[in-house]
Amino acid sequence: MMGEPTRYPVVAESLVRRFGKLEAVAGIDLQIGAGEIFGFLGPNGAGKSTTVRMLTTLLRPTDGRGLVAGYDVVREADAVRRSIGVALQDAAIDPLMTGRELIKLQATLHGIGTASTRKKGDELLERVGLTAAADRRVGTYSGGMRRRLDLALALIHTPIVLFLDEPTTGLDPNSRQAIWDELRALNAEGTTVFLTTQYMEEADQLAGRIAIIDNGRIVADGTPRELKARVGDPTLQVTLPEGVDRLEAEQVLLRFGEPLPVDEGNVAVRLSQGPAAVPSVIRALDEAGMVVEALELHNPTLDDVFQAATGRRLEGADHADIQVS
Amino acid sequence: MSSAAQHYAILSKRSIVNTFRQPISIIPALTFPLMFLAINSAALNEAINLPGFPPVDSYLQFMIATTIIQGALFGSIAAGGDMARDIEGGFFDRLYLAPISRSSVLVGRVAGAWTVSFLQAWLFFGVAHIFGLSVEGGFAGMLAVSGIASIVGAGLGAISMSFALRTGSAEAVQGSFPALFAFLFLSSAFFPRELMSGWFGDAASLNPLSHLIESARHQVIYGWSVGEFMQGLAIAVGVLVLGLVLSGIALRARLAERA
Repeated sequence: MMGEPTRYPVVAESLVRRFGKLEAVAGIDLQIGAGEIFGFLGPNGAGKSTTVRMLTTLLRPTDGRGLVAGYDVVREADAVRRSIGVALQDAAIDPLMTGRELIKLQATLHGIGTASTRKKGDELLERVGLTAAADRRVGTYSGGMRRRLDLALALIHTPIVLFLDEPTTGLDPNSRQAIWDELRALNAEGTTVFLTTQYMEEADQLAGRIAIIDNGRIVADGTPRELKARVGDPTLQVTLPEGVDRLEAEQVLLRFGEPLPVDEGNVAVRLSQGPAAVPSVIRALDEAGMVVEALELHNPTLDDVFQAATGRRLEGADHADIQVS
Repeated sequence: MSSAAQHYAILSKRSIVNTFRQPISIIPALTFPLMFLAINSAALNEAINLPGFPPVDSYLQFMIATTIIQGALFGSIAAGGDMARDIEGGFFDRLYLAPISRSSVLVGRVAGAWTVSFLQAWLFFGVAHIFGLSVEGGFAGMLAVSGIASIVGAGLGAISMSFALRTGSAEAVQGSFPALFAFLFLSSAFFPRELMSGWFGDAASLNPLSHLIESARHQVIYGWSVGEFMQGLAIAVGVLVLGLVLSGIALRARLAERA
């Protein structure tokens, strides 16, 4: 099942895909290290799924080269297929079959023997919490159950690289959390994960490294911390109770960075020394005898990174802020 | 069993099991032919007394071969529809993400259509026996008819799958249903060619379906005949080869964009 170990299980070199005049992927370069969770973040239509389809042999690149598990995705497609697990968008699973039947089908197609299939299948169904539902038809499963089964199917042959194309889109928070927990566990066991998502929080929570794609081009890449650091320092917003002198509060905050315009009754500062300055700000306000109603620390988000790179906000963006009241 | 044989076997099994798990897709193939059989046997039974009509003891005996071939025709639409739904739902992609031979999915589905047509033929024989059918060819004759029907079912299933692979749409596959009907009516399915005249008789003589049904009908009315069986088998195999060629070309075209 396993291919040759390689330092970079996923490599894309100037990968291009055109559909007629439309250039869906416009020459991207990627190098994903063994054991990484790599987040491929971008809005709908950015080229994420097209890239995944090329790297998983479902679509022939127009130009450039893709290597997965050390194999060329065009010339050694079968070897690539043996080395990867794939969960495509919308969990493409036959609703007429049961979970256990699908596990058996997938295992047979990957050449796994009956005894091994039974053992591995039971383990995987247990792992994704579907043992009780294993003999029910998939048509009766919830969206979250389908995604978890999809994940189990992708793992039946112990792949070197797991490609997940928007694995949590449309799921409720509990189901999303279950998938995240499973991905973290898989990664801890050494599986390299290539994750596409349009959710910044998902990329932020899971990925060790992120590439942001827009209009078929990678516009930013790095660790989440690096990407956010490129955007700038966090901001601290102070909500003042009625009657407190706003100008006096601004004078105190001025010692920690550039003041920012905010709503009436609030003051804010861009912390030039980063989040570490928050305790000092609190002490300074206290020493100045100032009463505050709330403090909100706004760290730069991946949406800020996306906006800095493209001038637009990412669809479905939600901020991951820390709030202290 | 080799891995390719295992792939064919499990994909065929899936195809057959799924057919019976969605009765709505196979009910037309089971009920329409039986409905035609019931109505025509009741309404046209006196026609057997016409001079030149084959020596049958009932119109049921004349019609049963048509019913079985008709079932295979209608069942082929279900086979193509299932393939189209796999494409629409993304399951087709999932299958091709495994290291399997390109023909596996197609062969699995064709084998599934073959099996369903075979079982369907025996079901029709069973129902007709309840209403007094006698088959002069005995068990060998019934085996010959069901064998020919199943090969035709597999061939027409493959043609239907070629539509599915070309269009990726279950609706488009369903759209081919009227063409099958026209093909059936312009044949000797419901009346012997000996009693036809003019352009209709000429069209029926040119329609291979007439010769296929007559070959199967011979086993029922006159008894087992190797010559008639070989004629039916040749036409059925021709349909199967045509279906495999067309669906193979369509599959190649669909997969051409892949690595």
